[in-house]
Amino acid sequence: MKEKKMTVSKGGKLSAGKKREGNVFFSEDPRDFGYAKENIPCQDACPAHTNIPGYIRSIYEKHYGRAYEMNRMVNILPGVLGRICSRPCELSCRHGESDLGTSVNICHLKRSCADLKPSWHMIKEEFYAPSGKTVGIIGAGPAGLAAAHELAILGHNVTLYEAMDKPGGMLMYGIPAFRLPRDILNLEINNILRMGIDLKTGVNVGRDITLTELIDVHDAVLSTVGCQEPFNLDLPGEDLDGVYSGLDFVIRVNQGERIPVGKKVAVIGGGYTAIDCARLAIRLGAEEVSVNLRKTETFMRIDEHEKHEAKTEKIKINGLVAPFQINGTDGKVTSITFERTRLEFTKDGKGRNAVSIPDSAFAAPVDTVILAVGQTPDTGFTGGKIELNGKRIKTKAGSYETGIKRFYAAGDCVTGATNVITAIAEGRHAAHEIDAVFVGKKRITETIRTETASQTDRSRNDDFIKASVMPTLEVTKRLYALTGEVEQGYDDKIAGEESKRCYLCNLRYFIDTSQCIYCSACIDVAPRDCIKITRAVEIKKDGAYGELLSATDWSEGLAIVIDNKRCIRCGKCYEVCPMHCIHIEKVELIEQKLEA
Amino acid sequence: MPKFDHYIIIGNGPAGNSAAEVLRMHDDQARVSIISDEGFPYYYRHMLCEFISGKKKEDALKVKPASDYKEKNIRMRLGQRVERIEPETKTLYLKHMEKVKFTRLILATGASPHVVPSLSRFEKHFSFMSKYSDALKVKPLLSPARKVAILGGDLVSLKFAKMLSAMKKEVTFFLYKDCFYPFELTADMASAIEKHFSGKKIKTFADIFPSRIESKGKAFEIETENGENLTVDIIFCFMGMRPNINFIQGSGIDTERGVLVDEHLKTNVSDIYACGDCAQIYNPELKNYWISVGWENAGIQGETAALNLLGESKVIKPSQKKILDVEGLKVNTSWWKEL
Amino acid sequence: MADIDIVIEICGSAGEGTISAGEILSRHMSSLGFEIMSFDSYPSEIRGFGKCVAHSRISNQQILSPGKYTDILVVLNDSHSIPQLHAVRENGVVIYDSQPPAYHEEDKSIAGWMAPGMIAYGIPLHSLANKAAGSARGRNMVALGAMAALFGIDEEGFKTSIMKRYATKKQVVIDSNVNSFEEGYVWAKKNVQKLDHLTFSKVKLRKVTQNRIIINGNQAVAQAALDSGIKLFAGYPITPATKIMEIMGKELPKRGGIMLQTEDELSAIGNVIGAGFAGKRAMTATSGPGFTLMTEMTGLAVMAEVPAVVVNSQRGGPSTGLPTKTEQSDLSLVLAGGSGDSPRIVLAPSTVEECYESTCLAFYLAEKYQTLAVLLLDFFLSNSIRNIDEPSLPDKKMLSANISPSKTDLKDYRRFQLTESGISPRALPGTPLGMFVATGLEHNERGKPAYDSKTHLEMTEKRYRKLDGILKEVSPPTWDGPKANVDIGVISWGSTAASAHEAVLKARKVGVNAAFMSSMLLVPLNVDHFVKFSAACKTILVPELNYSGQFAAHLAQYLNRPIEKLNRITGLPMPSEDIFEKIMEIADTQKR
Repeated sequence: MKEKKMTVSKGGKLSAGKKREGNVFFSEDPRDFGYAKENIPCQDACPAHTNIPGYIRSIYEKHYGRAYEMNRMVNILPGVLGRICSRPCELSCRHGESDLGTSVNICHLKRSCADLKPSWHMIKEEFYAPSGKTVGIIGAGPAGLAAAHELAILGHNVTLYEAMDKPGGMLMYGIPAFRLPRDILNLEINNILRMGIDLKTGVNVGRDITLTELIDVHDAVLSTVGCQEPFNLDLPGEDLDGVYSGLDFVIRVNQGERIPVGKKVAVIGGGYTAIDCARLAIRLGAEEVSVNLRKTETFMRIDEHEKHEAKTEKIKINGLVAPFQINGTDGKVTSITFERTRLEFTKDGKGRNAVSIPDSAFAAPVDTVILAVGQTPDTGFTGGKIELNGKRIKTKAGSYETGIKRFYAAGDCVTGATNVITAIAEGRHAAHEIDAVFVGKKRITETIRTETASQTDRSRNDDFIKASVMPTLEVTKRLYALTGEVEQGYDDKIAGEESKRCYLCNLRYFIDTSQCIYCSACIDVAPRDCIKITRAVEIKKDGAYGELLSATDWSEGLAIVIDNKRCIRCGKCYEVCPMHCIHIEKVELIEQKLEA
Repeated sequence: MPKFDHYIIIGNGPAGNSAAEVLRMHDDQARVSIISDEGFPYYYRHMLCEFISGKKKEDALKVKPASDYKEKNIRMRLGQRVERIEPETKTLYLKHMEKVKFTRLILATGASPHVVPSLSRFEKHFSFMSKYSDALKVKPLLSPARKVAILGGDLVSLKFAKMLSAMKKEVTFFLYKDCFYPFELTADMASAIEKHFSGKKIKTFADIFPSRIESKGKAFEIETENGENLTVDIIFCFMGMRPNINFIQGSGIDTERGVLVDEHLKTNVSDIYACGDCAQIYNPELKNYWISVGWENAGIQGETAALNLLGESKVIKPSQKKILDVEGLKVNTSWWKEL
Repeated sequence: MADIDIVIEICGSAGEGTISAGEILSRHMSSLGFEIMSFDSYPSEIRGFGKCVAHSRISNQQILSPGKYTDILVVLNDSHSIPQLHAVRENGVVIYDSQPPAYHEEDKSIAGWMAPGMIAYGIPLHSLANKAAGSARGRNMVALGAMAALFGIDEEGFKTSIMKRYATKKQVVIDSNVNSFEEGYVWAKKNVQKLDHLTFSKVKLRKVTQNRIIINGNQAVAQAALDSGIKLFAGYPITPATKIMEIMGKELPKRGGIMLQTEDELSAIGNVIGAGFAGKRAMTATSGPGFTLMTEMTGLAVMAEVPAVVVNSQRGGPSTGLPTKTEQSDLSLVLAGGSGDSPRIVLAPSTVEECYESTCLAFYLAEKYQTLAVLLLDFFLSNSIRNIDEPSLPDKKMLSANISPSKTDLKDYRRFQLTESGISPRALPGTPLGMFVATGLEHNERGKPAYDSKTHLEMTEKRYRKLDGILKEVSPPTWDGPKANVDIGVISWGSTAASAHEAVLKARKVGVNAAFMSSMLLVPLNVDHFVKFSAACKTILVPELNYSGQFAAHLAQYLNRPIEKLNRITGLPMPSEDIFEKIMEIADTQKR
């Protein structure tokens, strides 16, 4: 392993080449990106790189509007995502490390800034001059909306082509209103559209207008059609009355249809749609609803909150069963036959396949079967002229451009079904690529912004605050209406308490070794092994600094160093240092807009 | 490489103990350790009722003396919780911040009481009776208590209710057929139990849940779904058992209700085995997965897991469906299912 | 009402507050009316991360030894504590930190080493201390709090004891200690389920008397010296005697005396002899290596007949040896060290009470008999903390013991007059007509150097005659047990004597016909009593903390019989349990 001897230099910090502007520094050094990646884990985990500590701090300061805008810089639908995000950030939150309790409820906080901001908060949007270029976007789902917004800011004319009669895609049709109230969705979509985006609904590309025509009209065309085509299980009996496809079921219920589901409902599949179907079925009057998985709960791609709410609504989750056939009499479903499965490693040894166990079939009586095993993109609109990757649209490596010139694709139609936040991030990135082609250079880039800070912004007591539970509607009340939102949102008091829990990992603590007198007062007050007597630091292949190598003895220790990966930013060391040689900087991964 | 093998058994119940003994019997070189989050040594669980009623003293609960482990050179790590398993490095991460390496591992973590999600918000008001520590907690509360509520119902709860009514406590029983463990109650079973209880002056609510539970001083107020109000001194919860597998999740060892094992009690990860109340096995006779319950089954499984760990390939046979006579009802107790 | 007799050990790293936690515990338990005996061991290095152990035995009955087996081990540092586990009882309790800041590698945590049957309570010491006071420094107090909760010690009273201990410190220090204690107490009450049966809450206690004081051997010696009217203390620091010097430095100037830190031990004893010559009571305190240097000068006190008191608190040797470990291996040095036939007084107290008593006696005897008096302590005794009844002050006779020359004597003053008692009236410098020559050379009655054989013999005999008088002044050796037909007689000295006494009492309780003898006065030795005791016993056992059996060898010349020996050089005080075992072993062989 390569390692670097600790050297004592003025300022003494492990940091790389920076440009200075007042007490603000900007850097594109890989070591600084490496630092941000490891030390602000939530921001790194977020596909859109939302500045999470930043907006949580604003919530603490009760600047809800500012917090909302901070989200909107990279995610144009904060109120929506605050409800239905799959929250990869919370999995990597430092507060959730095994000895530190539970993750900050980042998603709930995101929602709270949308809920609590005054309706008149100010939006500061920086526009580029009109370019005269036009872009057509197919599909007004999250990826399409994100791309449209970004392109509009960059000065291009955008036309959105949407097949349904309302924009929003899966958000509008694929998610039940009890999880995502439509007024919020509409508000945020309108906020995007008012940038001068031309929305054409009810236009089915491929039928009403061909792709070739579109490419002729526009300087670039972006496909963000998502995944609309249900996977086909080809089960015997799929055509029986009482068998629905999951997405279809949700769309129909969302459009106001009260589908009769009977008493017993079996949902097949383990994604968000499956759980949504099950929860809708309960609301439609079903008495026993089960979600049936080929594998086990562990492999479900939904978050724990959703699972918990479903179970609270008495939905059963059955693992290790594979649907074998659907049985019926008189064209109506009566039961479904499952086979038990057993898990086997996939070829790479990482994933699992469910394998049916011979002679294990059994039948369960049901009135309704909902098949919600996922969707694939429907690429029919391309007229079959496009190169595919399975059923997905193939793009050039490291790019969003497809095999057809000036035709781009992003979001689920490229990646397969993922989640909303990924789709938004992908939409934006595609917009940036298209813009770079138009302009000849990248106008939006990521950079590391560092600002010296003079206070810790936190109290040690904040570390012991318990996670605030999301207030929910009582089960009995939930089930009366199809649309009553289950999660009630934090009020400003709860939001304030929860916001205090954030460690503010964007603060970086470091010891100026030239002033340190090695009294180890900081080590005494350290809440965990976050301050180390260090002999060297590992240097990674990409040049970023790696692990601190601890000295086992004073004699080999060269410096006392704060390990920011272990640091919980409690501020105790800063308080006790007799030499005031512990300094704080705010380090943020931000986007920079190039000026002419 | 370690000089000797280190066999670790997580769990200090019948499965864990029989595994440890078998391992030591066949390998006098390896290190054998038992880790358990209970501080009290291996004890007879079924005697807890007698313990809290005062019929049995603490020492009578212990299955074997400490000297037995000393002689057999089995390390006991009691009161220690395993938080995480890392199969790639064969390391256990313990709650008290210690890493322990194993060469082979047996999971015999047993099961703990389950609270249905719809009642989980009241969990802090509930008392349980599944561990020595529960009994220790309950013992001083029970003697001054006059009114007792029991939620759920399983074999132990029936025995327990009977004991309480013999102790002249006023018992209210909330009977739920779908969280009856280890089997599901049929309607006639439930009504038979209800009838039986009414003979003993035990008030029974069948499939009616409390909609509100609040503590009032030392007592609790319960409001039921059908609008009845009652005040009790202590609430016991017996809603079945769930295998203790939380800490295994995310380790790469496959779990469903319990730890998934094949008929050799092997998990999907090499060198890791599971047995007893935490292991879930496919039972071809039932065409279903099952989790064995009961002291004897656990012991047999512990032995089998240990032998297979040592290189044999013994197959665990689905145990005979035992018919037990509980409260005059014939019930089947050796299988487990939820579907 | 139950009896209790338990040993609590707190083990940590230097700087973790191990010793102060032990001290607070002892003081508090004493204030409640328990008998306590505490003993701290700490690293030899002046600075560093060495191991510290605060060992306290707490009982509602008489305690004579520190206790070998630990009932409760409080772990502040895992790696240091693992070796302490061997002394924990089979069903002992271990309290350890369940939330240290970083993962222990395998087997570096004490939790892995607990024997089956032991009960372990994990307390998140680190995080609770952090929570209570924002610093992990309060771990020791968290542990005390948890202990108080677990073993039925009153919370409020304990807090008062903590406040008292830190009374001179800033309020923040007091607060953080008390808060840490509270945090530990509350946490343990709420989260720990008690699986053991140890409790202090149901113990019958004697009434707490006002005058009970808590001191260690060194403090007792220093206090006795002050009470005996010491005017000069000269010394050079050395573990374990330094504490005496520290106290003198603080207290002597207040009383018009002088504490002088000299350049070395030789100078220290020189100053003491000088002060003695001038008629002032003076003392020095050292350990084996220092005493070795002093032997160059101690002979002068004997020859010039000048009172001098020297404390030798023994530590492991030879040479600089084991500075912080206890041993009784300087006996031969103290009995015989120095040139020529030089009779001296050697006193070896066995308890903290005796430390006081023997120091007063040393000043008295040295002054009256105009010679060297050596007090033989050891590391354990110097540092062992006891709660004792306030000792009675030395009386007038003890305080002014010099036999001054009469007017008749002064008419023709002979400073070294040959007398029957061997004591020559001593004129202090400045006494009219009382001029004399004092020298280290052999001299005649007037002090003039004289090397003729007659004078040397007469003067040597005179100096030795003083011992007879001394023997009569000091109470005879303790003889506990039957006066005849004893199966096993145990003779011991110094701190080991207390352990031996306890062992004999315990053996007698289980029916062994055993007796015990010890003498605080080692030189002159009351040989008659020892011979009588020896005659009454079938077997004689001499336990002591040295390898070669120095006291046994010393006794052998008088007793003229085989002696069973029990020698330990573990660096730890002699456990009464070991002596008891040995007694039982001998009893067994005798039966056969």
